[in-house]
Amino acid sequence: MLQYFTLNTSVEIICFLIAVICLHSDEKVEWKFFIVFLFITCMTEMAGVHFKKLYLADRIHNHPNIWLYNILLLFQICFFCMIFEMLLSKYFNIKPVIFGMGMLLLATHNYELYEHGIFAYNELTNTIMLVFIVLGSLYYFYLLLKGENYVELKYAYDFWWVAGILFFYFGTTTCNIFFKSLSPEKMKSIKHLTYYIYNAFNIILYGCWSYSFICRKWLTSQSLS
Amino acid sequence: MLELFIYLSEMADITELIIITTLIFLIAPAFLVLYIFIYNKRKKRHIEEKQLMQLTFESELIRTQMEIREQTMQTIGADLHDNIGQLLSLASQTLGSVNLDDRDKAQQKIDSVLDLTKQSIKELRLLGKLLEGEQLIALGLPEAIRQVINWIEKSEQCIVTYTIEGEHPAQNNPDKDLILFRILQEVFNNIIKHSKANEINIKLGYIQDGIRLQVIDNGTGFDIANMPENQKGMGLSNIQKRAEIVGGRFFIQSQPGEGTCIEIFIPYP
Repeated sequence: MLQYFTLNTSVEIICFLIAVICLHSDEKVEWKFFIVFLFITCMTEMAGVHFKKLYLADRIHNHPNIWLYNILLLFQICFFCMIFEMLLSKYFNIKPVIFGMGMLLLATHNYELYEHGIFAYNELTNTIMLVFIVLGSLYYFYLLLKGENYVELKYAYDFWWVAGILFFYFGTTTCNIFFKSLSPEKMKSIKHLTYYIYNAFNIILYGCWSYSFICRKWLTSQSLS
Repeated sequence: MLELFIYLSEMADITELIIITTLIFLIAPAFLVLYIFIYNKRKKRHIEEKQLMQLTFESELIRTQMEIREQTMQTIGADLHDNIGQLLSLASQTLGSVNLDDRDKAQQKIDSVLDLTKQSIKELRLLGKLLEGEQLIALGLPEAIRQVINWIEKSEQCIVTYTIEGEHPAQNNPDKDLILFRILQEVFNNIIKHSKANEINIKLGYIQDGIRLQVIDNGTGFDIANMPENQKGMGLSNIQKRAEIVGGRFFIQSQPGEGTCIEIFIPYP
């Protein structure tokens, strides 16, 4: 059982537990969805560890765990669209844009599945999603800077959530570009470079998100009292 | 073996490239977040300064209102004592000296008392208008200035020329009107108290996005550059401070024996 608790999964599980504690009674459905999303992510990652071990034991008869992440990609598309819609709709009606982006991502996802099947990673979908997320995050920051009101950034849960996702998706751009050259199929050892990079960025991402959940819990409980 | 060596050296190159670019891609958002924090702090300071300025402006406005009221009350007090009081005392004394047996002289004295009473009523009406000082500003700055000029002219110490240039903007700014009115009161006070002028020229000009008020007198004037600090008085510094509070500018030109010219520009409305 302990073999499933890698650094990566441990960070994700901690973040999931913080989400459960902080967001289970949140009045906004979108924030409650974090619990579901993080649960799916943790399950995928743990299943990923399991399938990776099977693949490393027998590379001929087993596939890498990539197909699992293709399924997770679907959830990520839906979830990120929902969160960015929630964050940016405070400033203007972003629904049509988010809907368009979501549709484009789903269409690309389906096209890639049709093109190469589920066992190869949907790299194009991931790259387009990465671009959308980076653009969305930068646009959120732009609106934050443009706004006339002062925001206490130390406790701004929106800000920390966006900072986390921007760090992760912007930081892992290089790994995404060189995804094919660094894939486990081509590497002799599993402890390849991307492993360390993803671990580091995962810590930043889930660290920021956990802090964001704590801020949200703290601020909402303060405003209620 | 050679192929493996080439492959490994290529991998080493890629590894280096990935590490460097990943670091760049990590530093970029870190700087962005840092910049947002710094900018946000500046925004907070700016908001605090704006709030402080608003508070200063509001307190200055209240003080201005109080000063206008005080000035009006002083004028009324002095007028009641020096003018209306004297007229009514004279009327009372005249009535007291009426001898009903001498009908012709009595008639003359009663007519004189009637004149004195009519003059007192006229004076009281003027006082009443002055008492409406704040309502005067509601009628507009040009009208308020006209009423103050009427009052100065009544003393027959000096001739006042008043001209209005440009078109009055469609929208008034009562706060700025009030402050400008108070500045003008302060200028008049200085002229009456110190300058010994017998001619005052006032120009109120509505220019693009602003008001220009010019007051020229032919009084004794003074040397601004060599004026001792303790003689600069509250008047001039108050005028300057008030003009700055509404985002305006204040200029003064004066030479001993050559009168004084004061100009105030205020963005309007």
